[in-house]
Amino acid sequence: MDQKFEGTPKAEISLDGRKLSRGEVTNDWGLRLQWQVKRDGKVIATPPARAESRYEHPDKTPGKYEIVLQMWKYVNYKKNKQREFISSKFIDISNTVTYTI
Amino acid sequence: MIHVGQANVPLCDGVSRRSFLQAGATAMGLSLPTAMELEAAGAVDPKKQKIKNCITLFLVGSPGHLDTWDMKPDAPADIRGKFKPISTAVPGVQICEHFPLMARMMDKVALIRSLHHNTGASHENGQRWMMTGYDFNAANIQPHMGSVVSRVFGQKTSLPASIVLPAKIGNTGTSTPHGQASGYLGTAHAPFFLGSDPAVKNFKVANLEPPKGQTDFRINSRRNLLKQLDDLQRRTETSSTIQRDTAYSRAFNLLTSPKTRKAFDPAEETDKLRDRYGRNTFGQSCLLARRLIENGSRFVTVNHFDTVFNVTCWDMHANGSSLDNTYLDYERHLCPQFDQAFTALIEDLEERGLLEDTVVAVLSEFGRTPKLNNRGGRDHYPPAWTNFFVGGGVKGGQVIGSTDKIGAAPHDRPVLPPEVVASVYTAMGIDLETTMMPGPGSRPVRFIEADPIKELFG
Repeated sequence: MDQKFEGTPKAEISLDGRKLSRGEVTNDWGLRLQWQVKRDGKVIATPPARAESRYEHPDKTPGKYEIVLQMWKYVNYKKNKQREFISSKFIDISNTVTYTI
Repeated sequence: MIHVGQANVPLCDGVSRRSFLQAGATAMGLSLPTAMELEAAGAVDPKKQKIKNCITLFLVGSPGHLDTWDMKPDAPADIRGKFKPISTAVPGVQICEHFPLMARMMDKVALIRSLHHNTGASHENGQRWMMTGYDFNAANIQPHMGSVVSRVFGQKTSLPASIVLPAKIGNTGTSTPHGQASGYLGTAHAPFFLGSDPAVKNFKVANLEPPKGQTDFRINSRRNLLKQLDDLQRRTETSSTIQRDTAYSRAFNLLTSPKTRKAFDPAEETDKLRDRYGRNTFGQSCLLARRLIENGSRFVTVNHFDTVFNVTCWDMHANGSSLDNTYLDYERHLCPQFDQAFTALIEDLEERGLLEDTVVAVLSEFGRTPKLNNRGGRDHYPPAWTNFFVGGGVKGGQVIGSTDKIGAAPHDRPVLPPEVVASVYTAMGIDLETTMMPGPGSRPVRFIEADPIKELFG
């Protein structure tokens, strides 16, 4: 019996200055939950988001920041020769917020 | 005076062996009516032993102790691994960074960091050790703890005393038993295996669904017919007919009781609570475990995975083939999933006032090699590992035993699997000094030939 994950998780995130907060995750698969932080289109951090519902990214390097909440989506455990998952991946589960420094 | 189940049976003060065996057989064969009859006859004092419940979370495949609950941050990189420790609610106790929710409730948890066994490193060896307390003996298959509890204390309600979720352990490498059967206690005390995934939409318990075309009327008609046949058969009754009777009775009760069906339905819970456990097979099984305990089951086992092949599971060999779990599986899937479901279960039990009466034991087969293999994984390692207890009569916020600097062997207070099993029984409130169970050939024997870990109950 392989693990089943029904439905799709969803959450709302909001921004107050540089302070992020997330609401409760509905249809929560219970897998890794993380903030994906991009600066000028490039992923620069993926800190965990499970234990705390608030986060402030410490980096103040000038640029346009985009943040979204992500959760791990398990499809199967297969990996390629570089030891990365082939089908399982992180998916966005929230709206995206942006700020500029 | 000894107790056989809930029956107080004087041994050395004039009661005959025949009386002892009669009372013992009745109490141990315990169906609800016989228990009530005994109580009515004054032979049972239910207040003498208040038996608590147990939920066992069995981590099939076995987590690496150095990557989870016995981290060695000062060891060389190829030993300490990739994860970092975090502080917990208990000063000085650290666990893996990927268990942040568990870290907050460490004051309730008793970690045992010096577990080990000295037999072969197969999954099945570890499963049998941890779920029966005994090494393998083909001539005498030892029963699962839940079967022992079922045999001695019987059912509280129409729910089976021992239930395994979501499925029995299947292929984990060898064809020897997994320690989740009733062994010599017989089929009447075999755990009820759910056989379905409570995380899927339209979940139904496979083993509770009547065959197509069977109505409640037809099921009840068959029950009445069977009862008449049984009454005839009782004239030549043997232990095997008693067992079959118990098993049939249990099956009919399961099929026809609306309360039973409701107990097995996680959809009775709010979406918020189901989310808190995690909408996945393990999380919803943990939620179901709480529902079943709440509704009268005594011993629920949740298998976190039923195989180690071709699935994400704790068996982190990273072998590039059918056993290819790696740190990525731990970080993204296994640790978060366990953290979410385990902490939800403890919180939920506590909020409902069930934690004091329910011991939660998190068990696994062995540890994993202190040194990473050349693919970045860890292999089977019985000389050292960590398991833990919460609830029941267990004193939380402590660490029992330790391993050496690289987690290769117990450094102090070594603990063997039979001591863990003895501790489960003790945490359930069973007095192992005075309570006996029927051994092979039905002679009374101790539950387990080991003492409980006394520090757990300090």
